[in-house]
Amino acid sequence: MAAVSESLPEQKRWYHSLAEKWDDWFSDIPMLAWLVGGLLSVILEYFVGSPFARMLGMPKAPVLFGFDIALKTPILIPSALLYDIIIYVLPILIVARAIGNVSNRIAQWLMDKSIVLATLVHIVLLYAVLQVWGDLSDYRVLVLKLTLIAIIGTLSLNVINGYMGEFSCSQPGFIALGAYAASVLSIILFVNNDLFGSLNLPASLAPFLFPFILILSGLISAVGALLVAVPSFRTRGDYLAIISLAFTFIVKSLLENLEVFGGPRGLSGQPDLSSLPVVFAWTMISIWIINNYVTSTFGKTMNAVRDGEMAANAMSIDTRKTKMVTFLFAAFWAGVSGGLLAHVLRYVNPSSFGIQKLAEVLGMVYFGGLNSVVGSIVGAVGMNILSEALRPLEIYKWIIIPIMIILIMIYRPTGLIAFREFNVKNLIRPKQKKGPEA
Amino acid sequence: MKNKTLLIVMTILLIGSFFLSSCGQAQAQTIKIGVNAELTGDVPKIGEGTKYAAEMWLEDVKAAGGLEVGGKKYPVELAIEDNESKAESAAAANTKLITQDEVLIIIGPQASKQAVPAGEIANNYETPMISPWSTNPNTTKDRPWVFRACFLDPFQGPVVANFVTQEFGFTKAGVLYDVASDYSKGLAEFFKEAWEKQHGAGSVVAYESFTTKDTDFSAQLTKIKDAGAEFLFTPQYYNEVGLIVKQAHQLGFNSPIVGSDSWGSAELIPLCGSDCYGLYFSTHYAAAGATGATKAFIDRYQQKYGYVPDDVAALTWDAFGLAQMAIQNCGKLTGDLKVDRKCVRDALSQIKEFDGITGKMDFSQGNDPIKCAVIVKIDDQGQFTFYKQACP
Repeated sequence: MAAVSESLPEQKRWYHSLAEKWDDWFSDIPMLAWLVGGLLSVILEYFVGSPFARMLGMPKAPVLFGFDIALKTPILIPSALLYDIIIYVLPILIVARAIGNVSNRIAQWLMDKSIVLATLVHIVLLYAVLQVWGDLSDYRVLVLKLTLIAIIGTLSLNVINGYMGEFSCSQPGFIALGAYAASVLSIILFVNNDLFGSLNLPASLAPFLFPFILILSGLISAVGALLVAVPSFRTRGDYLAIISLAFTFIVKSLLENLEVFGGPRGLSGQPDLSSLPVVFAWTMISIWIINNYVTSTFGKTMNAVRDGEMAANAMSIDTRKTKMVTFLFAAFWAGVSGGLLAHVLRYVNPSSFGIQKLAEVLGMVYFGGLNSVVGSIVGAVGMNILSEALRPLEIYKWIIIPIMIILIMIYRPTGLIAFREFNVKNLIRPKQKKGPEA
Repeated sequence: MKNKTLLIVMTILLIGSFFLSSCGQAQAQTIKIGVNAELTGDVPKIGEGTKYAAEMWLEDVKAAGGLEVGGKKYPVELAIEDNESKAESAAAANTKLITQDEVLIIIGPQASKQAVPAGEIANNYETPMISPWSTNPNTTKDRPWVFRACFLDPFQGPVVANFVTQEFGFTKAGVLYDVASDYSKGLAEFFKEAWEKQHGAGSVVAYESFTTKDTDFSAQLTKIKDAGAEFLFTPQYYNEVGLIVKQAHQLGFNSPIVGSDSWGSAELIPLCGSDCYGLYFSTHYAAAGATGATKAFIDRYQQKYGYVPDDVAALTWDAFGLAQMAIQNCGKLTGDLKVDRKCVRDALSQIKEFDGITGKMDFSQGNDPIKCAVIVKIDDQGQFTFYKQACP
């Protein structure tokens, strides 16, 4: 124990000096410059990644920052590290530093023009980074798509569990409803299927009708959410958890027994509509709308319900309305994420939407942080990338990830980035030296 | 001070990677085979069997100095990916195997839940895939690049129905199955159809179901008994079979109980005990009393891993045999993956007679093999002994 307490101050000093140096060099770089840096580094990888990787003795450019290569053949760990540093870290830092001052002026100019324009420019840049990064390998594209979809699902659960403080376990049920609704709709509309017959609309119409299919499937799972919303008026805490868990099981066994939808065999043959731009656009829209919802006045009533339902009632908040709307809203987005998922995998079956799915979504919410949009994004991205990167470890992965969650629960009981507001203006504004809001 | 550390670390990395890269180079063209298995998740035993069979096969190939194709020996590498028994992960693992590891052919996944979405990926990327164990028709339906190594349920259902009719002469059947498992449900339906075709409508006197993870079957079994069923058909997994058979005997149902290939696991007898002695099930191969290559495989597996391989391991072994035969039939490998994959696929679909340890297979009628089933009797020592063969 003594050794630990002795070494603590020194460790802190070291940490501080590093942070200071970081502030010194990089605190006045706006998001714009980071994104441009990222874009240039992925372009660099696109052109020289493979030959460079081969030069370092790796068979191909590492897909997920070298995790898979490092874990499968530990002898290549230095190569993978070097690759990451030279391809990603150094270019991003150098480019961001080099254009930091210019891009501050550009960011200011964009924000003066219009905040919408500024945001759009950033989103387009982010998309470009992902697109170029994904161009190198279809595996990356699939991981990106699944991660983006997980963000929507995690956000939707955070609205109920984090912002409203109800412990709901019904998210897999909502996702399942959305996935099945979207699958059935798109199969009826575009695929010649012996289950439902077909309208055989031309395939060129599909991308234009897909948003409507997704909205409709979101609405269908919102209708399902009524079943959970009503008991939530009377029960809280453990009881609501049990009722919502029951909902998940009801949906699952309903789908198992409905032979029209393929029963336990599931449905396959959905058209390939969830491309990366589509998934990306829906994720951005969901972040935007959910963030607006939770920061609105109405959204604040959710926090009031969480912190003291009686008090909220006394302060003339209609708690019933809050719960009802929130459940339907969250279910809508869960349904959309399900619809997107069904069209990425092009196969759905009831057993995908059971306890395991619930554990995953809950894990991402609590890992990232309650009551926080950023937290959900971090949670979903972190868990997905981590779980993909650690896959070569097989069974040990299921020891490492739970231990991580336990550690986070011990040291940060509400998650990594909890109770923080997500403010786009703050994120993209030009930065001054000495860090944001130092 | 810190800068110096950084410099040192960088130097070490640089030297290390260049040094190591020099030993990794100058390798001949290797044949890479992907394995997409359920190593973690609901059914880890299945993934384990897959992995062990794959490793045994690799051992053989290595002992032979590589895989000989067109007079040239190629070194073989396995790329094993875990699909966590999840549909998403199976798709991701397959994409990774195809685009990143650049495998020539994929073996797995085993369970249909994973094999259907993984098959979609394999078919899209025009990479041959053999699922050893998946029985869902959708796995190979309209997918020229996806094959399987097992027979299908529309074949197995009638096999059991015929066997019971010929062997016992019964006319009244009782069925107990898991409604949430696509395998059990599908097989129960095919059996019912076949039975009613032979004995007329209503000859399945009790058609009872339960849901995965149920452990009390007394209500269903009482109904089956009261309906006057002369035997019970239950296409369940080994963990449920033990419970069902024991509970049936406790309720005084002493007529024969017949099962399907999902019974054929090393775990069945430890769970079921003497209650299962004397019962029959249809499956891919019989471990006890096996001869020739089958016996050699079983003995080697048992010696190496300590238990009798179940049908998953045997089918995986055969899937590897099929892959090897297809690659060798291909004649030569060009090194252009697209051409080689096509060549392997074409060679696979032209296999007319493959003599596997789970029986002879014929792919001339499509991507599902034509092969025989065996009826196995569990003897008084709890061993699975060959009883009868049923061919299409």
